Amino acid sequence: MERLAQLGRAGIASLQRLGRGHLLLLHMFSGITDLIRRPKLLIAQLYSVGVLSMLIITISGLFVGMVLGLQGFYILSQFGAEEALGVMVAASLVRELGPVVTALLFAGRAGSALTAEIGLMKATEQLSGLEMMAVDPIKRILTPRFIAGLLSMPLLAAIFSAIGVIGGHLVGVGLLGVDEGAYWSQMQAKIDLHEDIYNGVIKSIVFGFVCTWIALFQGHDCVPTSEGVSRATTRTVVHSALAILCLDFVLTALMFGE
Amino acid sequence: MSQQSDNSNEPLVKIRDLRFYRGERAIFDGIDIDIPRGSITAIMGPSGTGKTTLLKLIGGQLRPDAGTIHVDGQDVHKLNNKDLYKLRMRMGMLFQSGALLTDINVFENVAYPLREHTRLPESIIRKLVLIKLEAVGLRGARDLMPSELSGGMARRAALARAIVLDPKMIMYDEPFTGQDPISMGVLVQLIPRLNKASRLTSIVVSHDVQETTNIADMIYVISNGKVIAGGPSKQIANSTSFWVRQFMDGLPDGPVPFHFPAKPLEADILEKAAAHKTGATP
Repeated sequence: MERLAQLGRAGIASLQRLGRGHLLLLHMFSGITDLIRRPKLLIAQLYSVGVLSMLIITISGLFVGMVLGLQGFYILSQFGAEEALGVMVAASLVRELGPVVTALLFAGRAGSALTAEIGLMKATEQLSGLEMMAVDPIKRILTPRFIAGLLSMPLLAAIFSAIGVIGGHLVGVGLLGVDEGAYWSQMQAKIDLHEDIYNGVIKSIVFGFVCTWIALFQGHDCVPTSEGVSRATTRTVVHSALAILCLDFVLTALMFGE
Repeated sequence: MSQQSDNSNEPLVKIRDLRFYRGERAIFDGIDIDIPRGSITAIMGPSGTGKTTLLKLIGGQLRPDAGTIHVDGQDVHKLNNKDLYKLRMRMGMLFQSGALLTDINVFENVAYPLREHTRLPESIIRKLVLIKLEAVGLRGARDLMPSELSGGMARRAALARAIVLDPKMIMYDEPFTGQDPISMGVLVQLIPRLNKASRLTSIVVSHDVQETTNIADMIYVISNGKVIAGGPSKQIANSTSFWVRQFMDGLPDGPVPFHFPAKPLEADILEKAAAHKTGATP
């Protein structure tokens, strides 16, 4: 009986968290009009959320592209289709690896930083202090970060894919001797703007929305102690990763399923 | 603000039958408090009696389960968000930690409310901030970051920020806790000076008996969710009530028991022994 009650309590707590998360989302949206009047706030966050994540995204993109070049070459060469390497690398990056790996890296780099920052602001009463200064902390602090995450993710994913294609080129063309013309021309012929690129962009917008929302909610909802902030940071990374992978499956099924 | 009263006899803050629960536990179980205009009123009581909670209730950051809080004639918890924020512009609050924004320096922290709520030109903002920093003795520290300040300095910088919009009232949350004797002396001197010079009304929440009784005009002592004593500070300091004496004189045992509620020691020990015995002989 006690177990059942525990299960019920946990269920109610999860539903309450879900409700608080959605209320926070609405509150953040209501701050967009204020943000338009003060674009400086957004620019500062675009720098810390987006620009500072670029290094890890660029390096990871390069290596992922290089690995795709290697693996793709060995498989394709078994069928004598090395020329299709460009298509293979570009399609895997633009459709899947670009949005997904970027989102996973973003959750680890920017998401955890957002949670820790907001959590510590809560623990050190900075959010409460803003409220008492008649400044809405959600509109002033959370909304710019949310919009910055939403805008950064597709841009970072695009950079990841572009660098990945170059990585694939370095290995495929530079090292393994695939014909350069074939690498680019096949890619140009087979990669479709709507089917591949738009769908990839939609994925990364969805991931940006979810990752930033999770990160900000965890920070805002954490227990304001050092242990609470550390738990919230872990939860951000874990929940974001799970959400990204589940959503990726759903979106892929919707976009490319028959 | 038509409801706003300027009647100087009316208390600035009027709390009536305030009830607030955390789960099953009653933090406030029907308390009445009046904070007279222009006074320094101390709210005292042991740790965990919800003194900070009271300030958050007055500031509208928490909602009571029952009862009302009127600030300057307005029922705090009946205001819509916009009016509540307007009211908060007339309240300053000094948090225990200072709550300075850590990514901007002292000057910008003090200027923050002005930049948020006014469209004053930069030269006036600079003058106002320097005047407020001068009042707390930190004009020279304006370029320091909050991480470079000592605890006492951070609290003073936060105080300058709390008074920069010239509020009607200021709430101090445990201003003396964790301060060295010099910082404590500075704050003890600063609170009444500001109160007089800026014609403020101050609410000081504290459990530092000596310092608080020295500066307060009125004292309320809270324990177990009730106001156990309230009145002019001299009267409270000389009170003969067991409750008040235990708190004021720091006696370890009395109406507030030394032991956290538990069953008798013998029962606790024997129960363990009995359980052990039954476990050993099946």
